[in-house]
Amino acid sequence: MKKIILSIFSIMFCSTAMVAQNDRNETLINAEKNGWEYEMKAGINIGGASPLPLPVEIRSIGSYKPRFNGSLEGTVTRWLGDKKIWGVSTGIRLEVKGMHTGATVKNYSTEIVDIDSKVAGYWTGYVNTKYSSSFLTVPVMANYRLDKRWKLRAGLFASYRLDGDFSGYVTNGYLRQGTPVGEKIEFKDGKQGTYDFSDNLRKLHTGAQIGASWQAFNHFNLNADLTWGFNDLFKSSFKTVTFNMYPIYLNIGFGYKF
Amino acid sequence: MRLKKNLLLLFLGACCLSSCIRQEALNSETDITACKISSDILLRDPVITNNKVTLYVNDGVDLSNLSPQFTLTDGATISPASGTALNFSTPQNYTVTSQDGKWKKQYTVECTFANPVTEYHFEDVKYFTDPSDNSGGKKQYYQIFNNLAFDGSSFEWGSGNGGFMITHSDAATTDYPTCQDDNGYIGKCAKLTTCSTGQLGAMFGAPIAAGNLFIGTFQIDLTDMAKSTHFGVPFHSVPKELVGYYTYKVGDKYTDKSNNEVVGKKDNFDLYAIFYEVTSDVQYLDGTNSLTSDNIVSIARITDKKETDTWTRFVIPFQMRSGKTIDPVKLKNGQYNISIIMSSSIDGATFNGAVGSTLRVDEVQLFYESGNN
Repeated sequence: MKKIILSIFSIMFCSTAMVAQNDRNETLINAEKNGWEYEMKAGINIGGASPLPLPVEIRSIGSYKPRFNGSLEGTVTRWLGDKKIWGVSTGIRLEVKGMHTGATVKNYSTEIVDIDSKVAGYWTGYVNTKYSSSFLTVPVMANYRLDKRWKLRAGLFASYRLDGDFSGYVTNGYLRQGTPVGEKIEFKDGKQGTYDFSDNLRKLHTGAQIGASWQAFNHFNLNADLTWGFNDLFKSSFKTVTFNMYPIYLNIGFGYKF
Repeated sequence: MRLKKNLLLLFLGACCLSSCIRQEALNSETDITACKISSDILLRDPVITNNKVTLYVNDGVDLSNLSPQFTLTDGATISPASGTALNFSTPQNYTVTSQDGKWKKQYTVECTFANPVTEYHFEDVKYFTDPSDNSGGKKQYYQIFNNLAFDGSSFEWGSGNGGFMITHSDAATTDYPTCQDDNGYIGKCAKLTTCSTGQLGAMFGAPIAAGNLFIGTFQIDLTDMAKSTHFGVPFHSVPKELVGYYTYKVGDKYTDKSNNEVVGKKDNFDLYAIFYEVTSDVQYLDGTNSLTSDNIVSIARITDKKETDTWTRFVIPFQMRSGKTIDPVKLKNGQYNISIIMSSSIDGATFNGAVGSTLRVDEVQLFYESGNN
């Protein structure tokens, strides 16, 4: 999957470059006069998936690595009216959202279920989490042109998850089996319990997005967009992670306006 | 550019507002972490499990007025209070309440004199229950073989069932690696089966669980599973012979600790008894040193082992380790321990074995020299 995404990325980049080499043709100029604007954007997602507010069980966050999460988007904007101050835009965005965290928790209730077995209890100790998903996202935004250089936008998006990984391990701590007074099972001296909840990730996400663009050169924009997911990372039937984790990412990048 | 900065600030602000580490919750745990009692009456350090404290005491000690002191999980409280004088002629119950007040755990504190029972019929089982679970303590997890000692205290066989329960708490009691079976040599018997622990077991690095049964306590140590089995109780006599009956079935596919098949290798069981000296640094032996420790004085280990579905008698004499003698004074003072250990897979402690290997054992008796003390 990663390879496919990479090749799509590179194809899109190449075509962008090719188009950029040609002079803007007649059609594009006419389209712009009629309020149409086409833009190709590339960026990175910085952020993470976090429970909000942090549950009381989380005692510290020891490490956080946002990882390199690329995004590529083709956007079309229709500016409305004579003044072309307001516009609507949509597009298609291929993006990766991920993070790598290490946290310590106290008395965190969990239940891991397999076909004929389960582990249930309260974990106190270190939890390492690796999360990464690629999405095909369609944003629908209202746009407002502040001046010649600044554009603001706000709207909603829907994402379809193409692939995903949510896995990690626990160590340096102990599980109280069943309840906080159950048998104590220690994980120490490097002993780890691994987990992989990738199969329980949700497919369809929706969320809100606000953003701004600043035109640096004639065809070249700098973009920043904050996306805030409405849905938990996991399917609602999945109970192992007891709190909801919402993806919150800031996308920073540049765009080429045709 | 200013707007972008503002946006970034807004984002960071939102994160801080909603994501700050909140104040730590009060403790929910209810452990007795240490027990202190006038030390001259104790033969051993107190043995503390999740719900029982066993005090091995010298013969002739007056138990009617003892005041053990307990160390607990931070903030937890105990009733009757630590240091209260109670009559330990019969086991006493204590309740520990957690700092947050939401959880309670009952402990039995028991004083026991040395010699345990030496005839084992495997007719009586107790069930492991958890009063704090959803069933309020009604759910029976696994069986514990129980022997009533002459002094009224109970002597429970140890097993690794507590480890199997981590991943299989919903299993039937008869699906645990160690359980009772109806088809004994006489009446019922002990059945030890090497079981698969499934995907989750593999996740913990423990793909199989051998059935095992031993005199001692099981306190799970994931770092080195062989260390979970604490073998031995005080014994005042010189053991001579271990006698009993067994049947054995070899499981089909021998696998190693990574759950890979080892072609051509056949599983085997193990059955032995050890008699060893207890010193201040060696309070008990475990699965890593139960056959190799320098403290071992004599061993009775089965050598003639075969696969058989008819009850087969074994008579295993204790053999003194070379250069070892039994000191009558130490014997009288309870400085020796005895343990009987059996397993359906000889290398089960390191997760090597064949799922399905089944050892049944019945009518075991430990013979010893009487009159020495």
